[in-house]
Amino acid sequence: MRILRTAHRLGIETVLGVSAADRETLGAKMAGRVVVLGPAPSKFSYLNANLVVHAAKATGCDALHPGYGFLSEKAELAQLCEGEGIAFVGPRAATIAALGDKLSARAIAAAAGVPIVPGTDCIETLQAARAAASQLGYPVVMKASAGGGGRGMFKATCAEDLTASFDRASLEAESAFGDRRLYMERFVERARHVEVQVVGDGEGNVVHFGERDCSVQRRYQKLIEEAPATALPGHVRDKLHAAAVRLIAEARYRNAGTVEFLYDVDREDVYFIEVNSRIQVEHPVSEEVTGHDLIACQLRVAGGEGLGLTQSDIQVRGHAIEVRINAEDPRAGFAPSPGRITRWAPPVGPGIRLDTHAGQDYLVPPYYDSMIGKLIVHGATRAEALSRLQAAIAGFTLEGVRHTLPLAAFIAGHADFQANRFTTRWLEDTGLPAFAASPAA
Amino acid sequence: MSLKPNDIATLVELFNTSGWEEMHVEIDGLQLFISKDPKARLVGGLGGGTTMAPPIAPPVARAAAPVATAVAEPADGDIPAHWLKVCAPNLGTFYRSPKPGAAPFVSVGDRVTAEAEVCLLEVMKLYTAVKAGVTGIVRRVGVEDGSLVEHDTVLFYIEPA
Repeated sequence: MRILRTAHRLGIETVLGVSAADRETLGAKMAGRVVVLGPAPSKFSYLNANLVVHAAKATGCDALHPGYGFLSEKAELAQLCEGEGIAFVGPRAATIAALGDKLSARAIAAAAGVPIVPGTDCIETLQAARAAASQLGYPVVMKASAGGGGRGMFKATCAEDLTASFDRASLEAESAFGDRRLYMERFVERARHVEVQVVGDGEGNVVHFGERDCSVQRRYQKLIEEAPATALPGHVRDKLHAAAVRLIAEARYRNAGTVEFLYDVDREDVYFIEVNSRIQVEHPVSEEVTGHDLIACQLRVAGGEGLGLTQSDIQVRGHAIEVRINAEDPRAGFAPSPGRITRWAPPVGPGIRLDTHAGQDYLVPPYYDSMIGKLIVHGATRAEALSRLQAAIAGFTLEGVRHTLPLAAFIAGHADFQANRFTTRWLEDTGLPAFAASPAA
Repeated sequence: MSLKPNDIATLVELFNTSGWEEMHVEIDGLQLFISKDPKARLVGGLGGGTTMAPPIAPPVARAAAPVATAVAEPADGDIPAHWLKVCAPNLGTFYRSPKPGAAPFVSVGDRVTAEAEVCLLEVMKLYTAVKAGVTGIVRRVGVEDGSLVEHDTVLFYIEPA
């Protein structure tokens, strides 16, 4: 829907490929034309790249936007589009493949002079792992080269741990990603997750739209994102932007992407983690603070019109915070809570934006990601944005399914969040236990 | 709470992908009974006077299993209620013949068995045969040869015999 809205504003005709479960969604009502790809299970619809490209070709599409889930980071989809002469709204297939493999991405980063977490190349034996770990210093983390998004990672705090987890890590890498290659990084104890929004033209020209802080995470799933990352010292922020731009230029990256970094709170330094070669869920906070429509930028680049703007056209103003609204019960282990929304009355007011496909009587299907919307607030300062966020959540009536807004309200009101004093461990170590102990509203 | 057609479709999809053998739902006096056993009947029966929809055919091989369902409502005007639909399992280009110029797999009036291949669906040069899924006589071809069909588009109507 986010993409359809911009496309329609730009006068672009749209065709939306959906599964049988989504044929009556708001997005389907909005699209110029809807084609039903396959049945509800994503394996037979959204995850079948051939179906998606066949539908685009048969309906006469010039370009294909992959969204931000499902196939959006699969080189296969970009490859098929290239073969059919359809403009893929994203990077070249070869770029997606090169950045999708962690070891190869680390090599590109190193070539661009981008700081990476001290670590190793591919490690094949336990012996090599032990040697590397003692050189890096414990704790360390073993990661699957083909992994990402927090999957396929094992932390080891001592040599015994490493012995126990090495085989498990390589087995899991094999079973989850079909690739048992592992590498090792030093584990950063107190880190914040910061990322830079970039757009490249594919020829080495790159602009960035500032950074986001997405440190409020549970099992590597982001819950709250904000821009800018006000916890960063100024010199670190400049270094971060420069590193992201160098990396994206080095990769001759085309279209929108996100360069993710770890900010080591104790060392006051940033390290490259990975590139997300697609538009991300949290892109609206960058749009709110820069005033630029990132989907329009994507379509412009895909249409061969280049970036259409320079770095000086992009100014960060104020502060924006996004909370994800998931149909999950935060008081019951985040169990999915599909069902019908019986009451839906979102807040309205200055600085409030809601991106959603849900509404009154919407049936949250059990098949897909449980996200039903994103509430975004913008204010002149972080404090103003935060108070708007609290007011917006308090004014949001949402019944019929269990959802994460009560947790978001709790976090927004917590002294640590208010003081901007948290790391990626905060939610699991401090926030959730405190939430569980708090009375249910 | 009112039940919408899409909700029923969702329930049927859920059932199809589940390991369940039977599902019985009752909401506001409306009863829905689905079973993978063609002979299954709801124990106790449905309320007096209610016509029960036949159980849906068990999904055969998942790859190209057409789901033959009874025409539940008097849709499509003149389609008799007992004709069964052969629907597209996924989006693709519909071909009635094994290759250009060849005779079609089936024509109106032909008798088919459940295992009979009735058409091809092409997705990015990959051709998959669609089986009738029911035994009967082909009564109508739902779409033009060579056209794009979506998931669930009715390809053929077959009169059980």
